Amino acid sequence: MEVTLDNLTKKFGDFTAVDSISLTMTCGVFGLLGVNGAGKTTLMRMLCTLVKPTSGNIYCNGKDIFGMDGEYRNLLGYLPQDFGFYPEFTVKDYLLYISSIKGIRPIVAKKRTRELLAKVGLAQAADKKMKKLSGGMKRRAGIAQAMLNDPKILILDEPTAGLDPNERIRFRNLISELSEDRLVLLSTHIVSDIEYVAKEIWMMKDGKIANKGTLEEILQSMPEKVWICHVPQTGVSALAKKHRISNIRAGHGTAELRIISAEKPCEEAVPAVPVLEDVFLYYFGETGGDEDAVV
Amino acid sequence: MLLFEIKKVFLKPANKIALVLLAGVLAAACYCAVVSVEYVDEEGETAAGAEAARLLRSKKMEWAGFLTEDVLAEVIRQNAFINASEEYLAQDVRENNKAYAKKQGFSDIRDMINRAFCGFKEYNYYRADSISENEVSSFYANRVFRLKEWLYSEEAQYRYSEEEKQFLIGQYERLEEPLYYEYADGWGALLEFAPSVIMIMVLLLGFPISGIFSNEFQWKSDAVFFSSKHGRDKAVASKVSAGFCIVTGIYWIAVAVYSAVVLGILGTEGAGCAVQMSHWKSFYNINFLEAYLLTIGGGYIGSLFMLTLSMLVSVKTHSPVLSAAIPFLLIFLPSFADSFSVFSDMLGLFPDQLLQMGRALDYFNLYRIGGKIVGAVPVLLGVYGAGYFLMPPILYRMYRKSEVR
Repeated sequence: MEVTLDNLTKKFGDFTAVDSISLTMTCGVFGLLGVNGAGKTTLMRMLCTLVKPTSGNIYCNGKDIFGMDGEYRNLLGYLPQDFGFYPEFTVKDYLLYISSIKGIRPIVAKKRTRELLAKVGLAQAADKKMKKLSGGMKRRAGIAQAMLNDPKILILDEPTAGLDPNERIRFRNLISELSEDRLVLLSTHIVSDIEYVAKEIWMMKDGKIANKGTLEEILQSMPEKVWICHVPQTGVSALAKKHRISNIRAGHGTAELRIISAEKPCEEAVPAVPVLEDVFLYYFGETGGDEDAVV
Repeated sequence: MLLFEIKKVFLKPANKIALVLLAGVLAAACYCAVVSVEYVDEEGETAAGAEAARLLRSKKMEWAGFLTEDVLAEVIRQNAFINASEEYLAQDVRENNKAYAKKQGFSDIRDMINRAFCGFKEYNYYRADSISENEVSSFYANRVFRLKEWLYSEEAQYRYSEEEKQFLIGQYERLEEPLYYEYADGWGALLEFAPSVIMIMVLLLGFPISGIFSNEFQWKSDAVFFSSKHGRDKAVASKVSAGFCIVTGIYWIAVAVYSAVVLGILGTEGAGCAVQMSHWKSFYNINFLEAYLLTIGGGYIGSLFMLTLSMLVSVKTHSPVLSAAIPFLLIFLPSFADSFSVFSDMLGLFPDQLLQMGRALDYFNLYRIGGKIVGAVPVLLGVYGAGYFLMPPILYRMYRKSEVR
């Protein structure tokens, strides 16, 4: 399975949401990291044939996906960022309906629905109405619908947005489990979602891929270093004005700062091993994304 | 897929309310139709409902048969006899009602005589009282004569070409004489309230229909829908089919219930009587059964047309509200346009006419199609029938090309 993006561009009027992206994906988890408004959702919607590109092409095993039509969508599983559903349907009916539009025969659909409900931990809620589910349960129903046709290409757009930490970890583990023998494109603005599971990370900014590679490559790509230093609380604001601070841990009268800087920021600073959060901060700045961007 | 699509519609609380309202309207229409048939007993007391219909039927069936000159003369004779009675001449309403009780068996025939001997655009309830037994022999000739008189009057002479005038006269002359008469109040009541049932049904069906396509956008379920294997082919076709099935199913269930209740209580007699019994001036030579089939058939085509148009609007605008408003606009705009004379010729061809075919039977709008002159009824059925068949493929193509932004 190989999906190729060839000089892909999408414009909405004068605004360029996706700007000349060329990439290739094979099996494994690909993490698409970027702040809100970077163009991640538009890119994913093009990959799901929901929006046509202004220019450029997307190929699946060498064939244009828009030309493949249903044949391509048969390989696809998609969990959108704004996961909408039919509020009056029970979870089971919802999955059976989606099975039918995915072309799964009723007898197979029933079996598959039962299996997936158990896998995502919703077996007890099968007869509950969709509108009565909690946020996390809805997301789990969402991943179940995406997996119904055992897709070779799984596209997950911000799957953990709005989930509490427990649900987020659970979800991350589920994605890892599902990533065997398939191509998973996982978009997020939450660094920890992809740090442990992604085979390759793409950092997207203003419609372009700002950086890409394995976690190690991404970490090494940062030209500046990461430092840790302990300073009195009164000295924090002075350092924050001069350097990018990726983390502050307050103590009794002192603070431990994690600073990104080419030079040693202060005398007592010691070098630290960079993590993806630091790289994210380096490329997107402190205002990049919303408040939980580096959770 | 189709069953889930239909289930999706009927699980929505607003649509459940629309169905309950429809059931209420249906019950009210059945009640109104049944109590519209009244019987006045020998004591001058008025009753309505099933028993009244039974008594009225037995009175009217005494006059069942062909309306020959002799029968018409007998009506004039008996009418004059009752008019000379003490009850009729009394100042007391109850006494007058007693006199009417004796007339109600032939009241339909008396009413036709009134219409035959009034001017074309006039009606005088007492006209039959001044017709002699000899005069009434021109009953059928008078119908044609009054039409000719009107067609060549100042009011109508420039409205129709000579060919159109001859068409209307020919239609009048083709009415089979003598007319066969029997009790047909069941059909009369059925036809009277059917347009209201059909119109309200279309308005209420606008709610479930409007959401079939647009709710996907509203609920944001469109992304999963369109990214699924059949999201741009079979699933779209199942939505189009769901719209058709919902309109067809509910329409015919409602029509069947309404017809069964009304005809079951008021009686099915009179199905073969000419519609001129109650639509005296109509140039459509059909019987009550045919008029009813035309009413419900036209209503069905009109419902399909309006509600499919409503679905088209929902696909284009993604708005269930705007879509649900389409039947309202199509039904009520012609009433508004009625006040402007410039629209008078067009009004007979608006789709709302399909929902009230009984009204179209009384219209004198003529159209020329392929050199042939026809009334509004075949034009309405043809134009909107063809219009309906064109819409589902458009609906399918438009929806399958939707983008999710």
